[in-house]
Amino acid sequence: MSHDGATTDVRTFADEVRAVPGGEHLETCYACGTCVSKCMIQQKVEPEYNPRRLLNLVMMDMREEAFESPTTWLCSECDLCYPACPQEIHISGVIGAVKQLAIEAGHESPLETASVDDDLCTGCGICVMVCPYEAPHLVEKKVDGELDTVSEVDTDACMSCGTCVGACPVGAISRPGISNSEIAAQIGAPHADGVPRLVTFVCDWCLRSDDDVSLLESYAPDVRVVHIPCSGRIDPQFALLALRSGIEGVLVCGCAPGECHFKRGTYVGGCKLDLLNTMLGQMGLAHDRSASRVRFVQIGTQDRGRIRREVDLMLDHLDAWKEAR
Amino acid sequence: MVDAARHPKVDVRTYTEVERVEGFVGNFKVQLREKSRYVIADRCNGCGECADVCPIELPNYFEMNLAPRKAIDIPMSQSVPLVYGIDMDSCIHCYKCVEACGKLEAIDFGLEDEMVWEDVGAIVVATGYSHFDPSVMPEYGYGRFPNVITAMEMERLNNSAGPTAGNLVRPSDHQNPQSLAIINCVGSRDKRFNPGCSNFCCMYGIKNAVLLKQMHPEMDITIYYMDIRTPSKGYEEFYDRAREMGIRFIQGRPSLITEDPDTRNLYVHSEDIAMGRVIEREYDMVMLNQAAVPQPDVDTVSSVMNITQSPGGWFMEYHPKLRPIDSPTDGVFLAGACQGVKDIPSSVAQGSAAASRAGRILHSDEWEIEPSVAFVWSDRGISADGKKCGMCARACPYGAIEYEVGEPARVITAKCHGCGGCVAECPHNAVTQLHFTDAQILAQIHTVLADRPEEKILAFRCHWCSYGGADMAGTSHFDYSSNERGLRVMCSARLDSDFIYEAFRLGAGAVLFSGCHPQDCHYITGQPVGATRADRLARTFERMGMTPDRFRIEWISAAEGDRYADTINEMQEALDKIPKEELLAEIEELRPQMEKRARRMREVPQVDEALEYADEIKDAMALEVVE
Repeated sequence: MSHDGATTDVRTFADEVRAVPGGEHLETCYACGTCVSKCMIQQKVEPEYNPRRLLNLVMMDMREEAFESPTTWLCSECDLCYPACPQEIHISGVIGAVKQLAIEAGHESPLETASVDDDLCTGCGICVMVCPYEAPHLVEKKVDGELDTVSEVDTDACMSCGTCVGACPVGAISRPGISNSEIAAQIGAPHADGVPRLVTFVCDWCLRSDDDVSLLESYAPDVRVVHIPCSGRIDPQFALLALRSGIEGVLVCGCAPGECHFKRGTYVGGCKLDLLNTMLGQMGLAHDRSASRVRFVQIGTQDRGRIRREVDLMLDHLDAWKEAR
Repeated sequence: MVDAARHPKVDVRTYTEVERVEGFVGNFKVQLREKSRYVIADRCNGCGECADVCPIELPNYFEMNLAPRKAIDIPMSQSVPLVYGIDMDSCIHCYKCVEACGKLEAIDFGLEDEMVWEDVGAIVVATGYSHFDPSVMPEYGYGRFPNVITAMEMERLNNSAGPTAGNLVRPSDHQNPQSLAIINCVGSRDKRFNPGCSNFCCMYGIKNAVLLKQMHPEMDITIYYMDIRTPSKGYEEFYDRAREMGIRFIQGRPSLITEDPDTRNLYVHSEDIAMGRVIEREYDMVMLNQAAVPQPDVDTVSSVMNITQSPGGWFMEYHPKLRPIDSPTDGVFLAGACQGVKDIPSSVAQGSAAASRAGRILHSDEWEIEPSVAFVWSDRGISADGKKCGMCARACPYGAIEYEVGEPARVITAKCHGCGGCVAECPHNAVTQLHFTDAQILAQIHTVLADRPEEKILAFRCHWCSYGGADMAGTSHFDYSSNERGLRVMCSARLDSDFIYEAFRLGAGAVLFSGCHPQDCHYITGQPVGATRADRLARTFERMGMTPDRFRIEWISAAEGDRYADTINEMQEALDKIPKEELLAEIEELRPQMEKRARRMREVPQVDEALEYADEIKDAMALEVVE
């Protein structure tokens, strides 16, 4: 601070981050590590992920290291850490500020993002509505020599949750690893012990404990597990496909409301399955939701062990259904 | 406690509340409500037969609700005096206790609370602290996961006189835990709940860990911490000893506790800061070191005793460094955690200090007070004429002014601390303050604005904060405009609107109205009185059409020398931006209004002599102005 009226104009990297909305409360971090363990990215995806250290990189003016840190690019702004932070730092705001500066400096997101097939896209705009990150937007561009309205995904904004892939009615959007055909292949994949009874779609984030993930695998061959990045990725057609191929039931697991790793993917997934169940009811396949063989459960971060209860309940339900038939 | 109760000169009143405090230092009158126990204390011999027959069981708050108590019971086994009492909210009036008491006839359902007045010379407030309720932090699952317990619950479970006779068991299955996690800073150092450090929990957690490790060497004990604070004598050595005993310390604040629904074991999720890695460890039991918070009835005690609160609800001391035992009210002293979280050695030290401070009063016939007290010119007030006013009494933070319609207001000098709030509030200039009379301050204003007033920045500073801030700016060698002229008053509440009007009438370029931050006010609520007046002035000047930068309000602490210098420099900058002829024109334009508003100042007693004196000084100081 200056005391003689002259303003010192040294703009450090930390100052730049502070100037971006969200980056203001950077310096109050006292490195307790709450954000690091509240977040599941380090545990599930990237051992180098550490918001606390990113804050420190910024405070130490280590610009390039901050831009290259996986923390800058992997944070999905779920904001589980914000209400947990004892210093009330909006951590995703700081990370977002760093990311914005990184993009301005020419860095690119290392994530495998969604892409649109211009030939198939009808420009309906559903992807624009469902995306939690405002990544897709409609543009006018020449497709096969003709001016057409199609969707385009901003690769810097896309967090790769796949919600748009699951929402596209014509299958024009895909993301490597979770495209429609790849997931369909997993549902119907042949197994030595025949057809599984239940297929469970599990979002990558709703099972905090690795014990729960391995527990789910132990149900094989009765239960087939399909991992999806977010319950927003679910396409009702997957459920129909499973039922058609002789699988008795479908269980979709997503995060609890407010805890979705991709902001509102679990809400989008819930809406889709609600609609599907209404439709199944109209088709006479389930007189009400509790009788349906397609279920959606939302598992919270503190619901350790709940997945077993839910799978057991579902299997009991399927037994009852078989008996009734 | 028993010793104190038996002492011939100590009168212990338990189950008694202070309802009112009147009077002043050395001459307090205290009204006490001696709550009825429905048991005649002189007849009860503490045999406990009544409790044995009582059919009603309630949670025992002394045992942290881990054990039952009866509707007629003693609060704890070492109660002083040993007299049973009935909890009337849960009593079903079966009178079995009366039967059991038999010939003693100690139980009387007709007893009522008694109100008594006592004369006391000094008061020591030692109301202690309470505990933060961790159930408001869902991430730790307290209240939902049975094996997550608080430090106080651990204290009872691990106590040989406790509900389990010292056998540490987990609440879920009554098995001895093999592993224990202790989590520090639950609700403390947390801006969501209590931003402050709770001071003793680090040592407290280590103490519990060491005790348990001594009793159960095989037990795996881990302490999760953010920073271990062991600042007192011997503490660091104790921390070392704990590490040597094999107690594990993990730096990292747990973000989440999850529970295995089958085993009821707990998983603590945290980052290990040293490794930079998220860890998830399983424990049989988790103990939360919850924050210390003020007592729930702190506001009541505050208003009864007339003690202000620091941010957070702790009682405010007279001065944080120099008079940490005195409350702002003379003769009322603070001891222990009610003044701020502290551990046992500090509480004992403060308690002893409070007792000796109180003894000083009890053993003296005379009491020295600040010399700058207020007094009333009884012929000037309107109250004696039967008109309603009482503004002085309302402004006084100490209740030192007695006001009744039909009589002039009266200052109880022993209670007055000399802030001068009443002086400035009185619309008739009927009150004045020794050493800071209106005439004296007016003379100072006239003197400093004698020469080229339009260039001057007149800074009114309060004695305790902004004056100290200006001092700090000086000793720190922060440059600020030499056009500043500082005037000291005891409190910003003393700053009469008329002073500001008079300064502008004399053509002052700019005026600074400064004082303490609201929570730092030396005179309890002096600053808010000054602040209200300053805001009103700012609005008045705005309506008059004055350039807004010419009147500035700023609250500056004695530590903020940089801020004082910055403020003055900013004011100078703003003043420099106004072209000189415009400034002079504005001063001339506003002068009649200022004159009209400041006219009452001229009627103040002794003002003419004071101004004459000021003129003499001006003449004596008059130097040739070098253009």
